[in-house]
Amino acid sequence: MNPSESVPPPWKIWENPIFRRYCRSRLRPKHLFLWLGITLIVGGFMFFLLRTGGNVRGGLSMADAERAAVIPLLILQALILFGLGTGQVATGMTAEADEGTLDYQRLTPLSPLTKVLGYLFGLPVREWLMTLSLLPFVMWGIVRGDIPLKAWGPLFIVFFSSAVLYHLTGMVAGTVVKNRRWAFLVSIGVVFSLYTVVPQVSRFGLVCFKYLTIQPVFFDAMPLLVPAAAKGALKASQAFEPEVLFFGIRFPEALFTICTQAALILTFVTMLLRRWRNAESHLLGKFWALGLFAWVHLLLLGNALPMIETGQLFPTREFRRRVRDSVLVAPEWKPTLAEALGMVGLFGLVTLLLLAILTTIITASEDGQVRGLRRARKLKLPRVPLAADAASSVWFAAAMAVLGAASWWIFTRALLTSSWFPEQTIPTYTPLTFGLVLLTAAIGYQALLEGWNGKWPFIGAMLASILPVLVGVILGTGSDAMLKPAIWLAGVSPAAAPFFAIGTLFPDFMRQREFSVVPQVFWTWQAVLAVVAVFLSVKLAARHRQRRAAAQL
Amino acid sequence: MSSSAAIEIRDLRVDYGNFVAVSDVTLDVPAGEIIGLVGPNGAGKTSTFRVLATLQEPTYGEVRLAGIDIFERPQEARSILGYMPDLAPVPSDLKAWEFLDQYAAAHGVGDASRRRARIEECLAEVSLEEKREAFCRTLSRGQTQRLVLAKTLLHSPKVMILDEPASGMDPLSRRSLRLALRRLADQGAAIFVSSHILSELAEMCSSLCVMNRGRLLASGSVEEVRRILGRAERTLVISVLERANEAAAWLQAQAGVSRVEALASRITLQYEGSHDGQAALLAGLVAGGFRVTAFEEKKSTFEDILIDVAEGNVNESKPSA
Repeated sequence: MNPSESVPPPWKIWENPIFRRYCRSRLRPKHLFLWLGITLIVGGFMFFLLRTGGNVRGGLSMADAERAAVIPLLILQALILFGLGTGQVATGMTAEADEGTLDYQRLTPLSPLTKVLGYLFGLPVREWLMTLSLLPFVMWGIVRGDIPLKAWGPLFIVFFSSAVLYHLTGMVAGTVVKNRRWAFLVSIGVVFSLYTVVPQVSRFGLVCFKYLTIQPVFFDAMPLLVPAAAKGALKASQAFEPEVLFFGIRFPEALFTICTQAALILTFVTMLLRRWRNAESHLLGKFWALGLFAWVHLLLLGNALPMIETGQLFPTREFRRRVRDSVLVAPEWKPTLAEALGMVGLFGLVTLLLLAILTTIITASEDGQVRGLRRARKLKLPRVPLAADAASSVWFAAAMAVLGAASWWIFTRALLTSSWFPEQTIPTYTPLTFGLVLLTAAIGYQALLEGWNGKWPFIGAMLASILPVLVGVILGTGSDAMLKPAIWLAGVSPAAAPFFAIGTLFPDFMRQREFSVVPQVFWTWQAVLAVVAVFLSVKLAARHRQRRAAAQL
Repeated sequence: MSSSAAIEIRDLRVDYGNFVAVSDVTLDVPAGEIIGLVGPNGAGKTSTFRVLATLQEPTYGEVRLAGIDIFERPQEARSILGYMPDLAPVPSDLKAWEFLDQYAAAHGVGDASRRRARIEECLAEVSLEEKREAFCRTLSRGQTQRLVLAKTLLHSPKVMILDEPASGMDPLSRRSLRLALRRLADQGAAIFVSSHILSELAEMCSSLCVMNRGRLLASGSVEEVRRILGRAERTLVISVLERANEAAAWLQAQAGVSRVEALASRITLQYEGSHDGQAALLAGLVAGGFRVTAFEEKKSTFEDILIDVAEGNVNESKPSA
């Protein structure tokens, strides 16, 4: 029998040698009992304190008191699994690469998917057990507290999919980052931002990002998880939307969350499979990156467009609805143009960021390009295949820029031609302006990355995007006299370009006299950036010629 | 490609930027042979091994292991391949048997009892039975090497790639290693091994490949390699009872003889000529009345060859065998 025929298939996780290896090393009785003991002490303390205290001191009924500990215990489980588990996956991957034992895994005939699953569930196996050890307390609260299945069922499913997503984030971080400490920090940082920064962005029109977290389903289930006395307050302050509208189609929120997370999980798994097949390959193929870019924009538009006419998309509506119970604001509400234009600018900025991240991933190093050219020459191919890692990423960066501009335009048009802004007109050249902003940045950044490899072009581009804005903000807030120079300075940043574009296309946004300079700043710097992008592209073409010559050796 | 070769390499090239680590190497390693790969540091040995082990993608080239294209069917290739890297690492948090069991399962060695039996066999093969329950982190360098060798043997690979397998091993372990490799080769495995302990390679290998600056300079038996690398010149050591200086002067006048040195009754010289010519020298000495007590050809060692390669004293333009 061929030995490779008897290796366990991916779905038999309990027979997976990598999973079993970590069960052995991470579940040794001494450490396991210590960690389980700590978890049970903390969890048990929370359970008994809230349950008994709620009943005896808080005057809750027994059923309500049983529910009192459920949410705190779920949060503890999330901290263990999402926080510790993700960190463990990231550092575990880096440790294997660092020690050199990762190569042994590459050498086994297990399929790449088996390897990914082995690490995914093996590295955080102790954290899974710690989380499961709290399950009896949670289930007690659920059963004795009469919490219905429709509340906790979807919550547990999304809890699982979120854990997988974050652990995969840790795996990708651990695969890419060479230093263990950095891998841990990067993965924790990504998970932290997924829970703090990303949901905030979703409040400003980029709704789909919140479905990368457990939050929508959690908040949805919350009224059924808390004691009856707290339900009233929650109902007034929470947005209960058990269904998600996607281009007019209604999806259950849990299902939509799982689908959104599944796309990212699939992307991460693809990254890891590519790295298992070839340790030097790009994290994503060029077509996959283009597809991912399109998918994210489809989600952004699909979620945002149906929420425009209802007003749910606008951040001030949410804010006012939340404080309405305190009678601070009158119930009449209407979005402002400034709010809408800010959302349009943010949409452009996020598009630009995504474009930069994906371009960085798919751009070949000089070594990679020369190797690809030599391989093509050896195989007697006229050129490096378009989708190969070694091929230039320029066409894909440009395609993403065009796609992004189209999506940005659709969002802007839907927002500003909605019934909220009956007087508002949109200049006909708006899509061209959006295209210019994104193409200039994409082509310039791509040429910089591909022509001058290494981390310095990346760091340089990031600094050129961030520093002028920071200095401009300090100058502008310091004194009115410095406002114009501050605008000129901030305008040089490609990251500020989406907002300057909005200020140029919709001058009503900039009523203050000092802001009248924005169009002039925008067009001047766009012209400069376009010249820089062309210059870098010409230089890149020269470098391509040099690389082709080097490939002849 | 030849069908009998267990390792077939064609036009293999590996680049790191502008540095050519392996340059268009073509080589066959037959089944049942132990081939040594020698070359100075930076010669391209490890890059070649990493490509063969499916750990690195080359710039271009074809590699087949037992007829399997390693780039098209890497998983299949891995099931017949055993690779032991230089300074082989082990996970610190596993016991020796747990480490072996993981890879036995990953290679589909069989169920738990079959794996257990195979682990015992491999531990015995490398004389490490007493360390079965020891944590890997407690093993010495040599024991670690032996444990990784045991891991490499687990699935009885048809092709073994061993990068400096004996580093850190004591003489007894080295002997065990040699015997184990010989047994495997006798069972039909092709073994490609690199070592800086060249005398060890000489004892172990049936033939030799010499690499320098990414190029395969020569391959074949030691004699063939010496010939290819221009080491046809050999050292002759002659002992005479008396008149050593006179004999030295006579030898110096002969064709193909150079660098003659006489020290007491012992004469050392370099001779570049056929074996007939060498016999004629001896006959000439005897005919000249010199009483010859010893006439010995001193072969150049692997070390000599490697030093010549490293110092660039060989003709690198010669095609490899």
